[in-house]
Amino acid sequence: MTSDTALPPAPGAQAPAPTTETQRRWARQHSIGTLWETWGITAVLVVLLAASPLLSSDFLTVANLQSVLRESAYLGIVAAAMTLAVMNGTFDLSVGGQLALVSVTTLMGYAAGGTGLAALVAVLTGMVCGAVNGALVTAMRVPPFVATLGMLFVFRGVAYVLTQDGPKTLPYSEIGSPFVKIGGLNIAGIPLPFLIMLACYGAVWVLLRRTATGRRIVAFGSSPEAARFCGISVHRIRMLIFVVIGVSVGIAALTYISRVWTADGSAQDGFELRVIAAVVLGGTSLKGGKGTLIGTFSAVLLVGVLNDLLVSRGVDASYQRVVLGCVLITALAIDGLRTRFAAPGSFARMLPRRRREAPAP
Amino acid sequence: MRTTLSTLALAGVLALGLSACSDSTTAEGGKPSGKASGDVTVGFSVYDMQYEFFQKMEKGTREAVEAKGWKFKLHDEKSDENEMVTGAQALLDQGVDVLIISPFKPDALGPIVAKAKQKKIPVIIDDIGGGGTPYDAIVISDNADGGKQAADYMAQQVAANGAKSKKVVSITCEPSAVYAARRNQAFDQQIKDKGFQVVTELSGNSKAEEAYKIMKDALAKDPDVAGVFACNDPMGVAAANAIKDAGKDPVKGIVTVGFNADPEAITAIGKGGLSATIAQDPAGMGAKTVELAAQAINGGKLTYDDESNREVFQKVTLVTKDNVAQFAG
Repeated sequence: MTSDTALPPAPGAQAPAPTTETQRRWARQHSIGTLWETWGITAVLVVLLAASPLLSSDFLTVANLQSVLRESAYLGIVAAAMTLAVMNGTFDLSVGGQLALVSVTTLMGYAAGGTGLAALVAVLTGMVCGAVNGALVTAMRVPPFVATLGMLFVFRGVAYVLTQDGPKTLPYSEIGSPFVKIGGLNIAGIPLPFLIMLACYGAVWVLLRRTATGRRIVAFGSSPEAARFCGISVHRIRMLIFVVIGVSVGIAALTYISRVWTADGSAQDGFELRVIAAVVLGGTSLKGGKGTLIGTFSAVLLVGVLNDLLVSRGVDASYQRVVLGCVLITALAIDGLRTRFAAPGSFARMLPRRRREAPAP
Repeated sequence: MRTTLSTLALAGVLALGLSACSDSTTAEGGKPSGKASGDVTVGFSVYDMQYEFFQKMEKGTREAVEAKGWKFKLHDEKSDENEMVTGAQALLDQGVDVLIISPFKPDALGPIVAKAKQKKIPVIIDDIGGGGTPYDAIVISDNADGGKQAADYMAQQVAANGAKSKKVVSITCEPSAVYAARRNQAFDQQIKDKGFQVVTELSGNSKAEEAYKIMKDALAKDPDVAGVFACNDPMGVAAANAIKDAGKDPVKGIVTVGFNADPEAITAIGKGGLSATIAQDPAGMGAKTVELAAQAINGGKLTYDDESNREVFQKVTLVTKDNVAQFAG
């Protein structure tokens, strides 16, 4: 970080007034506050990685790093799409149900027509799930929270119905199939699921930062009123967001089910909350309009690395959950404190009200 | 709309690229792990340490490993198939010499056993099931013997109760639980050999509420039922409750036998609310897996009780009011 020139002024001291508008903007963009907003969680990840050899001697082995990356991919892929939704001021609670349903239909697709059909079925099922959510929210005007919460149960229920006579599985005889390679293959030592995840982040980044649609998504999230006055159709954007999430679940399910080989309606219970937690940990505001993909990306890896370290330290499963919950809350607490103290005069505001109000006429 | 289409196209391209990539296969090199006899590490992936059954299994396994002077690495699957696959594969990556696993989902054993085969690491399954994979051995309770002991005890107690009826009920677990099904198969066979007749045999899907209904209906159909055997204890206790609610005694009136020696069943036997149950020995199962692991590491032939299915059986014990004190607490 090269921004020591842009440290915020010490409390009480007068900030040296920037001479030009350019300088002022530069200072704003490079203040500790904005840097933390974009890169904070990445910095935490780097620190954790640097400390990892002290915590676990096995961590920095190729096999273990591959394992962390491979394992993080399915969460990360859906988290990328979810970041779009949260920046837009909405979210999708049904992704856990979608993942279970897509996993089941993908295995059925594989049984019917091999790897190609399985991949097609995965993406199509995801797309249909997303379109259903989108239709409920746009055409039927159901609030996204209710619509996706309801569909979480529906998708899981359908997955249960499809697996009534036992979970869908990949038989051991398929061990040499290309399908298994989706989850297991390494290209130049990098697990394929992680490469797929990188490609997804690339695609979402292009959508978000290089298209008018991306700008509309963020604009609506930061101010729905203003966006509406500018003629942005919220329905078209919401529909797109839910379909993108559905497709992302389809791709994620491929990297998941080709590793795990079996699925029924109970697969990945609580997945939706882990995805939203990663997005929020990455610094995206649940109020919408603010967030970064790099934050989500780093948060997903942070959770993966932390989990791996806790397991290898032999930390009890119950405490692992406590630690992850505390990390999430700490991150948001830091963010909250930062916002509170970032504004000018924030320290004065912390003092009792009366002293501030006394000199006022 | 144009951007909408291009986004969808983008997603399509991703999916296509995905299936294209997967064809360019490069197999991971598997290298046999070198093992000096004093430096053996046993990896144990356990179903879920929240349950007492698996805590005892872990204790039995760990103590047997330590008794051999070997190292022990534990992984908790936390009742999650994703954690099971990731964690068990991580154990293999960490260079364990043998993998013992009680799988949360036997169907997810495929990728684990495949990786172990590649690295030439033996896999011993502890309970639950093998998922049709080429594991080296599986240790399970002697379910058939448990069913047989239940039938013998029931015949003896029915006689002691002075009941004239020869009608009994058999409540099974879910049909997919193939090992548990052996309990009822052996029970049915043995009780028929003693001159009884199984008038109702239905699946309670391992659930107490379903077993309660089955027993209630069975009593409506044949009020003179002399005994009932349930595939697990929650169902056994539920059947006993149905008997009580029908105004009969689940010990002196109708002989009620469960399976598993769960705390609720032990309490019920102590209070005269259940006739008997069959105790499994998870710690003993753990110790057996370590014996098999030793045989596999030494390159010797493994000793099976059922050669064709690579099965090894652990003894089970009948628990009645006479010996229930040993199992309490």
